[in-house]
Amino acid sequence: MTEPNPSPSHLTAPKRKVSLPDLVLALSVTLLGIAFWLGSAQIPFGINAVVGPRLFPLIVSVGLTVLGTLLTINTLRGDRAEPATEEDTDPNAPVNHAATNIILGGFLLGTLLLQPLGFVVGTAVMYFSVAYAFGERRLGLIAVIALSVALVTYLAFTRGLGLTLPAGLLKGIL
Amino acid sequence: MEAFNSLMAGFGTALNPLNLLWALVGVTLGTLVGVLPGIGPALTVALLLPVTAKLEPVSAFIMFAGIYYGGMFGGSTTSILLNTPGESASIITALEGNKMARRGRAAAALATAAIGSFIAGTIGTILLTFAAPAIAEIAVQIPPSAKFAMIMLAFVTISATFGGSPLRGLISLFLGLSIGLIGTDLQSGQARFTLGRPELLDGIDFITVVIGLFAIGETLYVASRLRKGQADVIKLDGNARMTREDWRRSWKPWLRGTFLGFPFGAIPAGGAEIPTFLSYSLEKRLSKHPEEFGKGAIEGVAGPEAANNASAAGVLVPLLTLGLPTSATAAILLAAFQQYGLQPGPLLFVTNAELVWGLIASLYIGNVMLLLLNLPLAPVWARLLLIPRPFLYAGILVFSTVGVYSLNNSVFDLFLLALFGVIGYGMRRFDFPITPAIIGVVLGPTAESMFRTALQQSNGDFSIFVRQPLTAFLMLCVLGALIVPQVLKYRAARRTA
Repeated sequence: MTEPNPSPSHLTAPKRKVSLPDLVLALSVTLLGIAFWLGSAQIPFGINAVVGPRLFPLIVSVGLTVLGTLLTINTLRGDRAEPATEEDTDPNAPVNHAATNIILGGFLLGTLLLQPLGFVVGTAVMYFSVAYAFGERRLGLIAVIALSVALVTYLAFTRGLGLTLPAGLLKGIL
Repeated sequence: MEAFNSLMAGFGTALNPLNLLWALVGVTLGTLVGVLPGIGPALTVALLLPVTAKLEPVSAFIMFAGIYYGGMFGGSTTSILLNTPGESASIITALEGNKMARRGRAAAALATAAIGSFIAGTIGTILLTFAAPAIAEIAVQIPPSAKFAMIMLAFVTISATFGGSPLRGLISLFLGLSIGLIGTDLQSGQARFTLGRPELLDGIDFITVVIGLFAIGETLYVASRLRKGQADVIKLDGNARMTREDWRRSWKPWLRGTFLGFPFGAIPAGGAEIPTFLSYSLEKRLSKHPEEFGKGAIEGVAGPEAANNASAAGVLVPLLTLGLPTSATAAILLAAFQQYGLQPGPLLFVTNAELVWGLIASLYIGNVMLLLLNLPLAPVWARLLLIPRPFLYAGILVFSTVGVYSLNNSVFDLFLLALFGVIGYGMRRFDFPITPAIIGVVLGPTAESMFRTALQQSNGDFSIFVRQPLTAFLMLCVLGALIVPQVLKYRAARRTA
């Protein structure tokens, strides 16, 4: 049960070992800031304008770089982030990266199949991969539900709401 | 009286049978999606945006009004019957309401939440009806420099003042601002940060960012740390209902919660979280049964739920009158306005009076519908919580894909969606709040345009931001909102050390 008390993790700063994932993240934020900074430098000043298109991006990217640097400094001092707790998560569960990768892989595969094979096949692949990653092992059942959900969604959005979605394999059939 | 007449005209619009139907569809869909675990009110509105894409603006916004209040309603059901909250504003409801439900009082907890939400929502909407036109009238005269300062204030309070870690909040905000800059600059026609991709010239669609950060990020994150075993849902038999004693103990907390919640929603103070906490501790202090608090006191559900819903109505005041969203959900509503080419702000009350007042009127109607719908249907909503998680999250992902793909019929957008999903995963893993990023994406372009307009009017003289009195005052508030909490924390830390 959560107590109504926003966790003051940043307040308690005892000497702890530097957390490597946190450090990588802090450096990535800094690098992203620098990347945006370099990008801003390529924007021309603009003509006939008091404030051109460059100034605001410059402010934002410098800001992001400074904030990333501050986060890096804090992390080197032993600060680390507490992973969030959500409705269906268990903070003590071992982290299952395989599940995350299956979902991402399934999503990208489904996206690539979306136009050649059609919306129904593409989204069914996505549905299948998520259900599998969440621990469902009755493969036949997932396949049936995946195809039905994809088909119903397709029909609801194309027939019901008049949107255009790629038909693919079903071209001419539906 | 002018507001009253406009409201009556609004009812004329909203009571048209077709619009009533849209309101009903909105509240039903809003509650339905809001009940589902893993989906908060902000994502509910974002996911349902494509559904409204083909509607007339007036009908669409009447439906949004229903979705907005319905999503809030649905969230409280989840927190009471399932012991973990979907969003920070429901923490108290989850705490006290779930304890009540565990003692076999689920029906009373749901009823006090539903009726309290109805009362708070209705009073909140009445306050909105009269406050909004008055504020809009003043707001017309606010110069661009002060509007810029106002946006800065919203940025700082949402990201730094009230969150757990100001640094993480600000990084989230700046990430959002950077994303908002991608695309063609409207004033100069100059492409910025597009990496030569023609798909990025129009900028990144806001819906892609929201659905990526919320839905895909959530799915990836939950998958990595899934709670094993059956979800611990409390059985509910029969309607949500209350005894005479429950009514006697609930009505004052409802009213107190309402008057705490509305003003907090109306100022940029980080959403509904603070008034729910305040209402909880106030009810605990005023209660004749303080020993029941923490074990399932009905006052502890009635007050915070009312505060939560009243603040949802309060949020609409700055959104409609100033175009300033103060919560993630409001930011999505703002984006919805922009999709129809409408800019919320003082002029909206003049140029689109029919739409604004139709929207406000349908808030009243939506509230009544929600009350009628939720008391008898509570057991049906409770069943939704039993959907096996593999099928639920798979469905959320598919629905997200349709929503994003249908924006531009673009596969490129789906790759962006995956990218923002990964970012959303990282933000949860590393404890970054998501709301500041959303606010940054939506308000960033407006902030830049106000900044540039102000400087053009002053011929490039930066002192406009300290010379214009209102601007200077707001800028001082920005500094205060940034510094004061840090000083307080530092002193508190020193005292305990």
